[in-house]
Amino acid sequence: MTRAPSPVPVAESAIRPDGDRRDGGHLLRLPEQPLLRHLVLMVFGAGLLYLLTQSLSAYNNFQVGEIGAFAIALAGLSVLTGQNGQISLGHGALMAIGAYTVALLMVHTHLNLVVELAIATLVTTAVGVVVGVPAARLGGAYLAGVTLLLALTVPLLAAQYGSIFGGEQGLTTTPPSAPGTINPERWLAWIQLAAALVVMVLLGNLVRSRFGRAFRAVRDDDVAASLAGIHVTRTKVLAFSVSAGCAGLGGALLVLSTGVVNTGEFPLTLSIELLAGMVIGGAGTLVGAWWGAIALVYVPQWSTSLSSRLSLGTTVAAYLADALFGAALIVVILAAPSGIQGSLRRLAHGIAAATTGRASPPNPPAALARLLRSADVPGGTRSSSDASTRSRDRSPDQVATKE
Amino acid sequence: MLQVDGLSVRYGAVEALQGVSFQARDGEVTAVLGANGAGKTTLLRALSGLVRCRAGSATLDGTGLIGRQPEAIVRMGVAHVPEGRGVIPELTVEENLRLGALVRLRRSERRDAIDGIYDVFAPLRARRRRPASSLSGGERQMLAIGRAIVAKPTLLLLDEPSLGLAPTVVAHTMELLRTLSGRDGLSIVLVEQNVRSALSVASWALVLNLGRIVVADRPERVNEDADLRRHFLGF
Amino acid sequence: MGLFLNTVLNGVSEGMVFAAIALGLVLVNRATGIVNFSQGAMGMMTTFVAYSLLSGGIGYWPAFVVALAAGFFLGAAVELIFIRPLQGKSPLNPVIVTIGLLVVLEGIAGSIWGVTSRGFPPAFSQRGLRIGSTRVAFSTFDLFIVAAVIVLMAVMIAVFRWTDVGLRMRGAAFSPEVARLLGVRVGRMFTLGWALAATAGALAGLLAAPISSFGPYYMDLNLVYGFTAAVLGGLLSPVGALVGGLVTGLCISLVGGYLGGNLEPLGALALLLAVLMARPQGLFGSAKARRI
Repeated sequence: MTRAPSPVPVAESAIRPDGDRRDGGHLLRLPEQPLLRHLVLMVFGAGLLYLLTQSLSAYNNFQVGEIGAFAIALAGLSVLTGQNGQISLGHGALMAIGAYTVALLMVHTHLNLVVELAIATLVTTAVGVVVGVPAARLGGAYLAGVTLLLALTVPLLAAQYGSIFGGEQGLTTTPPSAPGTINPERWLAWIQLAAALVVMVLLGNLVRSRFGRAFRAVRDDDVAASLAGIHVTRTKVLAFSVSAGCAGLGGALLVLSTGVVNTGEFPLTLSIELLAGMVIGGAGTLVGAWWGAIALVYVPQWSTSLSSRLSLGTTVAAYLADALFGAALIVVILAAPSGIQGSLRRLAHGIAAATTGRASPPNPPAALARLLRSADVPGGTRSSSDASTRSRDRSPDQVATKE
Repeated sequence: MLQVDGLSVRYGAVEALQGVSFQARDGEVTAVLGANGAGKTTLLRALSGLVRCRAGSATLDGTGLIGRQPEAIVRMGVAHVPEGRGVIPELTVEENLRLGALVRLRRSERRDAIDGIYDVFAPLRARRRRPASSLSGGERQMLAIGRAIVAKPTLLLLDEPSLGLAPTVVAHTMELLRTLSGRDGLSIVLVEQNVRSALSVASWALVLNLGRIVVADRPERVNEDADLRRHFLGF
Repeated sequence: MGLFLNTVLNGVSEGMVFAAIALGLVLVNRATGIVNFSQGAMGMMTTFVAYSLLSGGIGYWPAFVVALAAGFFLGAAVELIFIRPLQGKSPLNPVIVTIGLLVVLEGIAGSIWGVTSRGFPPAFSQRGLRIGSTRVAFSTFDLFIVAAVIVLMAVMIAVFRWTDVGLRMRGAAFSPEVARLLGVRVGRMFTLGWALAATAGALAGLLAAPISSFGPYYMDLNLVYGFTAAVLGGLLSPVGALVGGLVTGLCISLVGGYLGGNLEPLGALALLLAVLMARPQGLFGSAKARRI
């Protein structure tokens, strides 16, 4: 438990969504200015992904594109939970809203794809505001309950108004036509990955801006944040609506891959899988969103082949992936709450310290304490229960420091 | 009698207490003075088991305290009124007192013990069914001390009881502590920033600085020593 | 008029089931300050335990008692194994773990008992009672639901208000450190809070099973409606949970009866959002109590 004298964190947060600037030993020194830095990383990432898509088969490109779509939704969720301390169980439903919006636009209008994607993002952002404003009055964990209700509502609404949303058949979407001789799967993957990279840059800048600082201040101690002049409700709503917009865009891009959106496509379990993907990747980190997206695309596939190889029977097979994600949620939170990205980062620090020696911290106990603190919470969010400001300090077995 | 020997507590790299030794005799108030961060609160928290000690021992009438859980130390007769008084505002006055009486008294003894507290602190009787949050500062003080002594402890640890109270209430509190120690033979360890008040009731005074006892003497001597006052007590 | 009356009566019995879940959520929230998303799934597991016993030829009431006891131990085990190690850190982490637990418990139940829904016997007849000459949609079993949940709430209130253990639990919940200084074994009180909450969840599961399509997922909707009820009631008050359950039950029953069953969750969502806008502390909460 930390008892920070100044509960409002400044830019030096435990979370560094885009890699740690402090680790010196890199050959390539990135620019200090966030936007520039993110743009450099984006170009680098784009080059890498271009080479990847060129070398992969059509089916693998299809999956890489799906990873891009999921990464967008997960990055939004990651900012919401890791940076702002709120949990959403409705991101699957928000993806559904984005998907239905883009599908409806395709059925009824002939707009440019980019415009359609932008409208889908805006619509889900607006839903985020409608749900977020009342939900912001509850504590961060309680957003999960409200959004859980949303996750159950959306598929049933689509079923209820079947004439609009196509019911169980759903709506079909037309994949974007690839120019020239480009393979359609590859073209689609490029669109999805390009959108993902743009979103990463935007989110990376957001979390480095004063809004991002406000997110973290509210996460760490909403009372202190409001005393520091931060509008707590507005900040929470902003975080949730940005996150909702990301989910909407992710859903809209995903439906380009699947080609159809129907009531069964976005069940409650998708929302829980998204939460699991985010926690597995590392809450609060944008790179972690990619790890989570890879898990979301490949784990169901692996679990299907696993259960057929073990001949577990159809009932078990159908729910093995869900159970795996649930188990992963528990294990990761208990054993490695900063997820894959946090663990990798710690590993990299350890290696750097061991090889160069100069990265070893001058004050081992303090560094250890910082490490432990950053491991408290997914993504290294800081713990915030301070007995003097919080009436419900729940740490019976923890020794609080005084004086 | 409380006997403390070489008590040390460390928070990370910070030595909060370094080899603190003293005695607190029955029927006496032992004042613990010192600036903010000197280790006063840590000393009390170490004695009641809330923080773990790195070294040293503390015995109450021959039985060791260190290494036990707070719940067990309470059962041995140590009552700790924490900083800010620790009244539970959501509970009623009576419920706060019941909670104080719960672990050390038999069911049949509790009613009389609580009524005894009401006899000492008459204003509490009138408010027994009110939530403690509705009490004034002085009444909360009564409730905090009443809850601490309802189970007839042998050692009372008080952390800054004067904080935030009007001078007349402080004087009243100190008078009460004198009575409790003198009449009931209770040993009281009184941590205070309000040096004058503390010295007025104490039989023995300790001055802590950066986790060490720098002075242990009779209160008059501490009061007379202008150097000491200026250096460690700031007046 | 007949439809209206029957819809209302249906809402009352459903609302009481939501209230039972809300009471469990309130207990956990009071004890450890978190929302337990596995509250429904734990009740589902214990109801499957009862189902297995019933299938094995054991009578209803012994199975009922065993299910409640199983809930007690399941709740205690979950607190000790999963929640205790996370105490004092971020309040989000235990909540995420309960979400994981929800999925895992459903996965376990699905792989043991299959995912198809099946019938679960009621404690009493589910035939509508006769009032005068008309038969209404309210059975002896519905009466039992109402009575059982009112008794549950009354017991909770009585335990908190008049017993020593209830006082210890409240002290531990409100001020853990002060409670320790008064000799309360705070950790044990938290475990007890979870155990009692899961017992309430087991009761909710047994009551809900005959009126839902009983299977691994039948508690999902009941959980969200129970959550709605708990938030409506202010998350800390047993009476609030009961009234919140009734309001939620009536709301979704009326929405379902007049607008269509698919819109029931939307009705609950609208109710929840409206109440949060108007009274963020819930219908029964005080503004101060809502520091989560």
